[in-house]
Amino acid sequence: MQNRIIFHIDVNSAYLSWEAVYRLQHGEKIDLRKIPSVVGGDERKRHGIVLAKSIPAKEYGIVTGESLYSARQKCPNLTIVPPNYERYLKASNSMLSLLNEYSPLIQRFSIDEVFMDCSHLEDNFLKIAYEIKERIKEELGFTVNIGISTNKLLAKMASDFKKPDKVHTLFPEEIEEKMWPLPVGKLFMIGVKTQKKLNNRGIYTIGQLAKLDREYIYAWLKKPGLLIWKYANGIENSEVKNTSYAVKSIGNSTTTSYDVDNKKEAYMFLLAISEMVGMRARDLNLSGRVVSVSLKDNDFFSYSHQKKLNTATNSTKTIYETSKKLFNEMWNKKPIRRFNITLSELSSNEFCQLSLLEDYDEKEEKLNRAIDKIRYKYGYNSIIRSCFLHSGIKPVIGGVMEEEYPMMSSII
Amino acid sequence: MKVLMKPIEMIAWFTKNKKPIPLRYRIVDENNMYRVIKVDRVLFVEEEKLAGNRMIVYRCESKINNLRRIYELKYEIDSCRWFLYKF
Repeated sequence: MQNRIIFHIDVNSAYLSWEAVYRLQHGEKIDLRKIPSVVGGDERKRHGIVLAKSIPAKEYGIVTGESLYSARQKCPNLTIVPPNYERYLKASNSMLSLLNEYSPLIQRFSIDEVFMDCSHLEDNFLKIAYEIKERIKEELGFTVNIGISTNKLLAKMASDFKKPDKVHTLFPEEIEEKMWPLPVGKLFMIGVKTQKKLNNRGIYTIGQLAKLDREYIYAWLKKPGLLIWKYANGIENSEVKNTSYAVKSIGNSTTTSYDVDNKKEAYMFLLAISEMVGMRARDLNLSGRVVSVSLKDNDFFSYSHQKKLNTATNSTKTIYETSKKLFNEMWNKKPIRRFNITLSELSSNEFCQLSLLEDYDEKEEKLNRAIDKIRYKYGYNSIIRSCFLHSGIKPVIGGVMEEEYPMMSSII
Repeated sequence: MKVLMKPIEMIAWFTKNKKPIPLRYRIVDENNMYRVIKVDRVLFVEEEKLAGNRMIVYRCESKINNLRRIYELKYEIDSCRWFLYKF
């Protein structure tokens, strides 16, 4: 553990860079990265916020998360482009496959951030870091920052130093010089509120936080306080988790093209969504214990119901049966316009506690696997349940983009 | 050469193991007329994957208006579309 070398690779203004590169590739003459520009959501759908900004836009004081309206006031000739998550996922995946050539131990922390265990590179790490940075720029067309240290936290802090297109190190002996002078809000896990609390007691830099008495911070901010105190001192030793990002729940939903007013059709929609939820859970090698169903009626009123199962499941059948039960318990006979099924309290399939009281059906599991395989290979509609024949209802419903998309997490 | 990135209609030859080879394509010109251009020679083929989007770039030569012209075509793998990239 002592001699670990961890890289943290962070794409510079990810969405914006990817959008810019894609557009250049398609013949656009202006590089979005070189003009004040932002990637922003759709204002009509009330998603009108800044998702990513170019460095020239940053100079106007535009910050990520502010409304496009206020961004436009700061910079009247701002270029706003809509996001395209599929494209970004593709870009992110291409970076991951490039990184895979260097280390098998890679943790995707979010769509644009990756931790990589490079302990095996020994003294070569700096050379390799530059090589990776250059290759990404050359082959994939966007720039990254690479932070290097002995643990994930310090590596992440390092990649945030100076942008773009840089390699930084932050080894434990460099903490005092490189990390401690930074404002305390820069530390991972310290948000606006914690920063305020700390500032109120005269703590403005990471160094000041680090030098506090451990007992003092524990008495004051309890466990989270201890965590940030450890971070401020560069103490963090979690492994680079090779399994993908932590998924907390798997859910799919659909807004039906017409209002559903009978049980039979409602069941079919539930089944079609269960198929997708189950398939996704199996793909991620996860099972969930809580199934919840939520409905929205034609007056846009939403209500939901959930049930905790005795054993975790990822079987389409169990999810469907449970959703059906939940549906029957709550449906008030008003026409429905939207269905949602979510599977949560997820656990890995590696160890699974079977129930004494319920049958474990190995055959069904095999069947599910076989169906999944066929569907991944030949498309979702290659094998369908007969009840969907000529029904006009899609046999597998739900886009995978929304949640399969790696979002930022607070667990390092 | 100037970047055009104009979508074109293409007849290509998909081989057993090599990358598809462009043969002839149709383009709408300034007068809104179709023009068919035969690809006489492919000078080189390159693959790019900028932002993870794979495209095959072809530098080609054709006789246009009795002049030999060199230009570039692009094939976007994900969308199966051809473009007149640079002319």
